[in-house]
Amino acid sequence: MLEVELCGIKLRNPTMLASGILGTSGAALKRVALSGGAGAIVTKSIGLTPREGHRNPTVVEINGGLISAIGLANPGYEEFGDEIRVAKEGGVPVIGSVYGFNFGEYAAVAETLQKYGVDAIELNISYPNVGKAGAFFGYSEELSHEVVKEVKKRVSLPVFAKLTAGAGDIVAIAKACEDAGADAITAIGALRAMKIDLITGKPILGNEVGGLSGPCIKPIALRCVYEIAREVDIPVIGCGGITTGEDAVEFFLAGARAVQIGTGVLYRGITIFKKVSQEIKEYLEENGYSSVDEIVGLALR
Amino acid sequence: MHEMQVVKIKKIIKETKRIKTFILDLDVSAIPGQFVMVWLPGVDEKPMSVSYTKGDLGITVLRLGDFTRRLFELSPGDMLGIRGPMGRGFKVYGDKLLLVGGGVGVAPLAPLAEEALAEGKEVTAIIGAITKSELLFVDRIEKAGGRVLISTDDGSAGKKGFTTDVLRELLEEETFDQCFTCGPEIMMAKVLDITREKKIPTQASLHRYFKCGIGICGQCVLDGIGLRVCKEGPTFRDKELRKSPEFGRYWRNAAGQKIYFGGKK
Ligand SMILES: Cc1cc2nc3c(=O)[nH]c(=O)nc-3n(C[C@H](O)[C@H](O)[C@H](O)COP(=O)(O)OP(=O)(O)OC[C@H]3O[C@@H](n4cnc5c(N)ncnc54)[C@H](O)[C@@H]3O)c2cc1C
Ligand SMILES: Cc1cc2nc3c(=O)[nH]c(=O)nc-3n(C[C@H](O)[C@H](O)[C@H](O)COP(=O)(O)O)c2cc1C
Ligand code: FES
Repeated sequence: MLEVELCGIKLRNPTMLASGILGTSGAALKRVALSGGAGAIVTKSIGLTPREGHRNPTVVEINGGLISAIGLANPGYEEFGDEIRVAKEGGVPVIGSVYGFNFGEYAAVAETLQKYGVDAIELNISYPNVGKAGAFFGYSEELSHEVVKEVKKRVSLPVFAKLTAGAGDIVAIAKACEDAGADAITAIGALRAMKIDLITGKPILGNEVGGLSGPCIKPIALRCVYEIAREVDIPVIGCGGITTGEDAVEFFLAGARAVQIGTGVLYRGITIFKKVSQEIKEYLEENGYSSVDEIVGLALR
Repeated sequence: MHEMQVVKIKKIIKETKRIKTFILDLDVSAIPGQFVMVWLPGVDEKPMSVSYTKGDLGITVLRLGDFTRRLFELSPGDMLGIRGPMGRGFKVYGDKLLLVGGGVGVAPLAPLAEEALAEGKEVTAIIGAITKSELLFVDRIEKAGGRVLISTDDGSAGKKGFTTDVLRELLEEETFDQCFTCGPEIMMAKVLDITREKKIPTQASLHRYFKCGIGICGQCVLDGIGLRVCKEGPTFRDKELRKSPEFGRYWRNAAGQKIYFGGKK
């Protein structure tokens, strides 16, 4: 009842781990698959060279969510093969997230992750906290189109484009990615935000500003998915603030084929994927549906 | 939710030439072995074990690099940001306890000793340091009624050598219900080897590079077992650690690259 298919990839349930949550470590990804119950796992965004990321504090908890600025820390693509090998022992599809500072980097890293055996590539053109990487591309139709096109030339795997609501017109970006050959759209990444301490008068995050995630961004993410799903033909993966089965169902109704969960791990632990899946199943049963597919996009009709 | 609380430093105690205790204006009840994230505004934020777990929170810091050097420049009245206490503390079983602490690793063991002694348990602590003047919390544990055995690398106090040398000798004579250890990882790995032979269940408090401190970034995850040092740890059972090929061999830097202890692969 919970199985879904995404670009030819079969998922045992529609919950995926979002990029950047526990995703630098193969051992953690495997645990999210085995004990957590995720239907698929997305790795941390990987780049060409090792990056230490931003100085601590890298996260600050606020009412309704989290502001984080890890700064794309990662060991670089050369060292990441081992982690993917371990992650695959989890027995669920592994999606390799890629970021870059230029088209060539995106393509080179994506090609290598394909060699390591990932099941799909997710292009991070959504991350807002590192100068000219990530969202730098996702803010522009032209650059988004170009990134997807260059990566599609080099890999045969399905390619997802992960978008940011920080873009002026996220629907236009989604269409540009679809035109360039993207196989799916993930929406959305964290939103630029900050927190200032009243006593010291200083921003708390080492990077001063960070990305807002968690329940407080859900209504924005839902609106994005709804608007994108109305305009594109490729599958949309919903992400942003999902912590319960009811949240996930809302995204399905808005047109998402699957959902990603990140910050929810903080509130409900690593087994959140099992819990949300169970809650989705209960909703489907109570309302007389026999599959997730039956409710995808109902709100759009 | 672990909101950042910015609090005043009430008191600073110079423990040794390179170790200071900071008592904060923050009332807590922590379990020994838990940690807090300590924010020095404008500088950085790092994990520190709670060394005073009841009443005013205390941390005990070894001066090492830039962050701790900046901490050492602070005076009472200055402010620090605190998230926590967080993580899993030590869990005490049995009545006859053995503690093995190296260097600043004694920080989480001292409150454990005090609490156990107050409950009428028997505590023996092996405390090691490079030299006599760097020994931490010997008086504190003795005052609470514990027995302390000492080792120093240079032989200026107690046995010349390592805590593990003292441990080996002690376990020829005596046995214990539980062992608790904190210190350099190579030392803890040896402690685990020795207590395994003697069938003494052991808990160790691990140190890994922390970023989020709340179990979501994945920076501190141990290979083999996938457990997060900041969430399922920092204290672990011996049987958990034996399943990790990483324990005693390597850690990961801020980029997530493996760094081998002692520089060898
Ligand atoms: C759970 C836990 C409890 C700790 N408790 C204490 C304590 O009670 N007293 C104490 O003095 N120290 C403690 N530490 C270590 C402390 O967090 C710092 O690593 C140490 O003080 C280094 O300080 P520095 O930045 O001045 O030195 P640096 O020269 O910058 O770093 C020295 C080494 O410290 C480690 N380190 C640096 N940054 C971090 C970080 N963000 N997270 C973890 N490790 C890091 C690295 O191994 C580095 O090589 C604890 C660490 C952990 C994980
Ligand atoms: C600590 C942290 C790190 C993240 N790192 C990445 C990353 O490397 N790449 C990426 O595409 N998104 C990253 N994200 C964004 C998430 O994947 C997700 O899009 C966002 O958090 C919204 O979903 P959520 O509310 O379920 O967390 C990160 C989010 C957090 C909280
Ligand atoms: S420091 Fe982020 S998961 Fe432990």
